[in-house]
Amino acid sequence: MLSALLAIPFLGALGLMLWPGELSLEKVRRAALALLLLQLAWSLRLLLLFDPSCGGMQLQESIPWIESLGLEYRLGVDGLSLPLVLVNAGLTLVSAYASTTVTQRPRLYFALLLVISGAVNGAFLSLNLLLFFLFYELELIPLWLLISVWGGARRAYAATKFLIFTAVSGGLILAAFLGLALVTGEADFSLTPVLSGQLGMGTQLVLLGALLVGFGIKIPLVPFHTWLPDAHTEASTPVSVLLAGVLLKLGTYGLLRFCLGLFPEAWAVAAPWLAIWAAVSVLYGSLAAIAQRDMKRMVAYSSVGHMGYVLLAAAAATPVSLLGAEFQMVSHGLISALLFLLVGEVYATTGTRDLDVLRGLLNPERGLPLTGSLMIVGVMASAGLPGMAGFISEFLVFRGSLAAFPVATLASMVGSGLTAVYFLLLVNRVFFGRLAVTPPEPGGPLDIRLPAVPLVRHLPAMVLTLLVVAIGLAPSGLGYLSEQATTAMSQFPALLAAISGKPA
Amino acid sequence: MFLPGVLPPAVADSVSTAAFSPGLSLQLHAGAIAPEAAVLIALLTCLLVDLAGEKAASRWVPPLCYAGLGTALVLLALQWDGPQDPAFLGSFLADNLAIAFRAVVAASTLLSLLLSWRYVEQSGTPVGEYAAILLAATLGAMFLCGATDLVSIFISLETLSVSSYLLSGYMKRDARSSEAALKYLLVGSAAAAVFLYGASLLYGLTGGGTSLTEVASALQTSASPVTALALVFVLATVAFKIAAVPFHQWTPDVYEGSPTPVVAFLSVGSKAAGFALALRLLVGCFESFDAQWKLLFTVLAVLSMVLGNVVALAQTSMKRMLAYSSIGQAGFVMIGLVCGTEDGFAAMVLYMAAYLFMNLGAFACIILFSLRTGSDRIADYAGLYQKDPLITLGLSLCLLSLGGIPPMLGFFGKIYLFFAGWADHQYLLVVVGLVTSVVSIYYYISVIKMMVVKEPQEASDVVKAYPEISWNLAGLQPLRAALITCLLATAVGGVLSNPLFTWANSTVAGTPILMHAIG
Repeated sequence: MLSALLAIPFLGALGLMLWPGELSLEKVRRAALALLLLQLAWSLRLLLLFDPSCGGMQLQESIPWIESLGLEYRLGVDGLSLPLVLVNAGLTLVSAYASTTVTQRPRLYFALLLVISGAVNGAFLSLNLLLFFLFYELELIPLWLLISVWGGARRAYAATKFLIFTAVSGGLILAAFLGLALVTGEADFSLTPVLSGQLGMGTQLVLLGALLVGFGIKIPLVPFHTWLPDAHTEASTPVSVLLAGVLLKLGTYGLLRFCLGLFPEAWAVAAPWLAIWAAVSVLYGSLAAIAQRDMKRMVAYSSVGHMGYVLLAAAAATPVSLLGAEFQMVSHGLISALLFLLVGEVYATTGTRDLDVLRGLLNPERGLPLTGSLMIVGVMASAGLPGMAGFISEFLVFRGSLAAFPVATLASMVGSGLTAVYFLLLVNRVFFGRLAVTPPEPGGPLDIRLPAVPLVRHLPAMVLTLLVVAIGLAPSGLGYLSEQATTAMSQFPALLAAISGKPA
Repeated sequence: MFLPGVLPPAVADSVSTAAFSPGLSLQLHAGAIAPEAAVLIALLTCLLVDLAGEKAASRWVPPLCYAGLGTALVLLALQWDGPQDPAFLGSFLADNLAIAFRAVVAASTLLSLLLSWRYVEQSGTPVGEYAAILLAATLGAMFLCGATDLVSIFISLETLSVSSYLLSGYMKRDARSSEAALKYLLVGSAAAAVFLYGASLLYGLTGGGTSLTEVASALQTSASPVTALALVFVLATVAFKIAAVPFHQWTPDVYEGSPTPVVAFLSVGSKAAGFALALRLLVGCFESFDAQWKLLFTVLAVLSMVLGNVVALAQTSMKRMLAYSSIGQAGFVMIGLVCGTEDGFAAMVLYMAAYLFMNLGAFACIILFSLRTGSDRIADYAGLYQKDPLITLGLSLCLLSLGGIPPMLGFFGKIYLFFAGWADHQYLLVVVGLVTSVVSIYYYISVIKMMVVKEPQEASDVVKAYPEISWNLAGLQPLRAALITCLLATAVGGVLSNPLFTWANSTVAGTPILMHAIG
């Protein structure tokens, strides 16, 4: 059942590469879309089979792989991973749909897209630490290729930077996993939380630290974030969608599943510092976003800020805040994908993303009215206006964390306010006012007339907008799906304390 | 042509003369070297065929070599888990360790030969002679894997070394090849002399014995400074053979100057024999000096990993880059040696087997590229994906595997080494290994970037003038077969590597000296 989510993209990628004869871009794209639709349908089928009232892992599959290494092919899904699997399936589909301008080597491009999607599924579903690591590393080279072959002018630099950062993150994670499995003497690499009786607090903190830095690079958290704006600026729009919407979630998922899930006691010790780190990350990301002149970099920095909320929520580790973290992961995935799509649309039509030259794109006749309207909805959602997905997730995060870490939460709230500032700047500059796509001259002539964007190209953006609003208006569905898992996770420390016979 | 069980004349003689004293014939156990006998017969037949002229040689030498090495591999498989009686009065032992490493050596020769034919043809050198020398080197390396007596170790070591000098200077009209041979000869002879000196010290310490079991029992009790000296000398020889820093200086020059197929053999076969020797001497004999040699090897491993991988970053020649990368890879394998646990030894064996396929796969690609273009510069690979997808795919996957990227074979080998190292609390080695792995990914990926990422207009002149791909020339079909075999093993072998793990573990389980060391 779950293996099909790996088999569809991997075998599909292999098939695309090995298909004999010439394939035009349109054919390859259609084939990839068909495969991704199948993957999405299968993920939705998973949703029907999933029983939200049960907190544990479901639909488990397990095949022994390499016993002397403790590597086991073991998959399972719970309320934490299921929404992310759905987001992955949906956003890869969006990304493939938006890939209409891949003129060179379309086969390789779509095959890599499929491999990434499969690897991300594998990482979300794996219940064995080494298996997770395998999938985590597997996505590295395809994404490097996607940036370095189909990227912008400085793509080589950005891709290599991404590669080195992620490779270091992989090394740290592997070291921590090896350390955990071997120090506790049970080299089975299962997801069993470690107790202080088995492992001293000092060692736990060291291992947790390695994992935190490893995932902190991926999320990314300040100060390990510098690869992200470069990678986003140089990547093409579909790759940015994938990177922001799906791949960053690997980091936050790792944070919840492995940092919090494996080291609940050490986590409790480190939590106050983590909350401060989260607040710093949120504020730095937001302030840096204000200073940007490139729309894509601005959205990229907003990701840095918004991913900080997840760390804050995880640090607080209350049932409400963890549910908020899950909401934030899903809604950030959808919203950032939406924003990157729209920025890509503006860039494709005007040839620039510079905030200093773009003006008045909302012009109903000669501008990009639909893009502009969707963008306004997107930034409203991102800034957390009520009725949108962003509001629900931020509200839950802040509500859940306020009692535990009032100062850090208040600082993050300021960061949330700053989101409104930089996105208003963006919308105000780019979409309002008199239409212009060149630096304004006093009394200069009217700027060009922009070609209208066909409605089909806006289809993914409109679907994403609808989803964002739908989650905002009716959050109970997603909440119902994840509540058991996140509540169970928040009770880890208490449960463990009860097991080890100490007062919580 | 050759039947299992038929012995070479010399051995058969000694068996028949020993018939009068049944005790002696039992002690000989000549069947232990049956695989070597197969290689030897192939070698002699090659020389004979070579007398019939170049035409007959190029027709018959390749099948003869395949038959000899294939038979050797089959015989090795039959020896697996067999009776482990010391052969030839204790100078050879066919335990599973010896069998596994001899199999790696024989397989590496087989693959190197497949890569060689076209190269030899193109350079206009005699085929029969070349094959005979390479088989002689193989013979030495195989004997070295199972040698358990100082004398047999030295003889097999020299057989391997002398043949290697000859091979590296085989392109005699090429000045770089001659330079490589001379360098190799000088440094190698010095290493051999050092080994002899160390062996003579051990001979004195045992009071006149040369067998490794005697040496081991003598070392149990003696702790004189002379013993430490002997250890250092022996260790230097081993380090020279596996090209560990700081005994590596010959590697880049020899790799760059020697004929590429020879380098392929030296980087895998010769190195495997070196590791087998290291296990026999250090684990088998110097057990009471465990702490000392492990410390020395930790230093060597750290230096090899750091220097090999860092200097590889700066290389512009593909062969030099692979030379430094092989130094780094040897450093990774040493982690397993230093651990001295069951997992550590098994990881060594596994990694050598993985290294066989991924490194020879990479060499197959660069040989093919240089046959088609005559170039060896990394920059000349720019834009290759358009002209030659097979080389691009093969080299990319093999290099990714060397860098330890999943799901390639190298990933599983490397993770097993790190796993074993961490389990044995070798934190320094594992951390250095992880960091240098990241470094190695960088230079492996730069080659891939050259080939895959560069657009057609950025392609190098060499690639722009790339010849039409054809497999019709003599000797190209075997090359393609070797390339595809290595490629498949590297790409699919990782996911299906469970049998390999079982094999590596039973290698250790079937080797008394290793089981004794594990305790």
